[in-house]
Amino acid sequence: MISDKLKKSILKTLELEDWDIRDETTADQIPGWDSLNHVRVIMDVEKAYSVRLKGLEILKLKNIGELQRLVDSKHG
Amino acid sequence: MMQVPRTLWNRWLQNAQNNPDQDAVIHWAAEKDPIRWTWSRLMSAACALAERLAGAGVQKGQVCALIIRHHPDFYPLYMAVSSIGAVPAVLQYPNSRIHPDKFRQGIEGMSRHSGLDWILTEKELNEKLAPSLSRPGSTIRGMIFPLETGGPALRGGGGEWRRAQYDVNESDECLLQHSSGTTGLQKAVMLSHAAVLNHLDSYARSIDAGTDDKIASWLPLYHDMGLIAAFHMSLALAIPLIQLDPFEWVAAPFLLLEAVSKEKGTLTWLPNFAFNLTADKVLDEELDHVSLKSWRMIINCSEPVRHESMEKFFRKLSSRGLDRHALSSAYAMAETTFAVTQSAPGSEPLVVSVDREKLSKGAVSVVRGDSNARVCVSSGKTIGGCEVRILDKDGEELPEDRVGEFVIRSDSMFRGYRNDPAQTDKALKNGWYHSGDYGFRHRDAYFIVGRKKDMIIVGGNNIFPEDIEDALSSVPGMIPGRIVAFGEFDPELGTEQVCVIAESGTAGADEHKRLRREAMAAAAAIDVTIRHLYLVPPRWLIKSSSGKPARKANRERIHEIIPIV
Repeated sequence: MISDKLKKSILKTLELEDWDIRDETTADQIPGWDSLNHVRVIMDVEKAYSVRLKGLEILKLKNIGELQRLVDSKHG
Repeated sequence: MMQVPRTLWNRWLQNAQNNPDQDAVIHWAAEKDPIRWTWSRLMSAACALAERLAGAGVQKGQVCALIIRHHPDFYPLYMAVSSIGAVPAVLQYPNSRIHPDKFRQGIEGMSRHSGLDWILTEKELNEKLAPSLSRPGSTIRGMIFPLETGGPALRGGGGEWRRAQYDVNESDECLLQHSSGTTGLQKAVMLSHAAVLNHLDSYARSIDAGTDDKIASWLPLYHDMGLIAAFHMSLALAIPLIQLDPFEWVAAPFLLLEAVSKEKGTLTWLPNFAFNLTADKVLDEELDHVSLKSWRMIINCSEPVRHESMEKFFRKLSSRGLDRHALSSAYAMAETTFAVTQSAPGSEPLVVSVDREKLSKGAVSVVRGDSNARVCVSSGKTIGGCEVRILDKDGEELPEDRVGEFVIRSDSMFRGYRNDPAQTDKALKNGWYHSGDYGFRHRDAYFIVGRKKDMIIVGGNNIFPEDIEDALSSVPGMIPGRIVAFGEFDPELGTEQVCVIAESGTAGADEHKRLRREAMAAAAAIDVTIRHLYLVPPRWLIKSSSGKPARKANRERIHEIIPIV
């Protein structure tokens, strides 16, 4: 389940008013989430959750649900 | 005895004969053992693949588009095309965001402009591209899937490869690069064997490159910096290449540092944004076992070079043994094969602070202690075989410290844009290439400060604003011809981002929401991401004397209302 906090962070970074973001949603299904904005999205998520994500951890993410679980696991 | 012609293949053959068991290419993938191509195995695989291609009908002089993701057998495939005397053209593999119709239209446009004969690709693209083959006027003879079989057997070596190429000459075309654009409007730059070899030899001398070096690169090979500076430089000079996957690198930029550390890499080319990305995204704990002492040149090129980007990169990595003098810069373009200027090895590029106001009027005045000054990083001095002149708007040559257009003459110059004499005549005059880039010379070093064309450069990739404006014109509610796209520098990312101002005939929050969504989708379909979209009422845009909306004036107008964040 994608939290409001994560969803808000992604929408704000990509300047989207709203978008249906679910566990199985992938980055390429969200407007504006290309490889460069990917960096921006991750950095803003890191700020929102006060965590840092390693490159290999990010590389392995398959969808937004996995991103949610990763930040939750770090955030405690 | 017949003289061996000066071609890329014959140079590779000579390198393979001299170094059969040495690494030529090291194919790198995250958390996997690298796949190492020695020269003899690489040449053997290239010969085996050449037989496959010839069997499928590929002949000398035909253009072969290679559309293949990061793959260990890409390298011998590219060389196989060259061994037949055919012309390789590396194209970007479509990401899942690109609409299949737009991708197909792009390939068809390229086929019309560039005269593509064959598409060498993966079976996954069969369905997307098959309709292009039967389209009236298509030049494409067929699709070939050369890497579907082989794999480890292909990499085993053992086949005969010691055969020189006699039916190709140095004046024959050896590769085709697409200079910019996203939707089939790309300009196709054809280069001869002589141009590429002249360039690589001159450029290697300017950076003291030799067999003691090792190139580490994540750059895509459809980009001139990846193709020429990393891939061709490596093969022509027998410098091992460590090639990473661009998609893996952008998610995990520490991979390049890991590769440099483990393989003792010495040379790397990066667009400016990569300096920011490395500094911002790599965690200190990822650097625990990394040593960057071997890295002797990290060359900032393909985007405007920013002093602050280089500084933050150095601050991030200095504790890992990075030598400050490894920071370097160059100015390059596909039309001259690659580099025009390069900063000297072992010294940082010259940096000067200049008065902004005077610079905007075309004069360079060096200042000290002025916080409003513009900090300019030099792209070095001309490399061997290249001449640069800086011209005013009347075509008169300017002295030092005056801003004008860079025009270039080189012994590695393209002959023109393929099938496009009108664009060729505009760009190439009396042997001088008119770059459209603006800058100045100061203490014999060259500085780029802007460009005449409205080209947007995002992460080192050139995008025509016209492509974006056309794509958005089809969105219902947008007023066709009343849209302007332009680039805006993003200091956080260290590169430009795309901004659009569009007049719309619709009002209301819901309608604007729909327009935004559809505009984003229309841009994504041509692989462009819009960072800021400003919707304005009809007749808001300022028109130029030609009646078209003026990009610069409208950009300034929108920023008077909405300051750049």
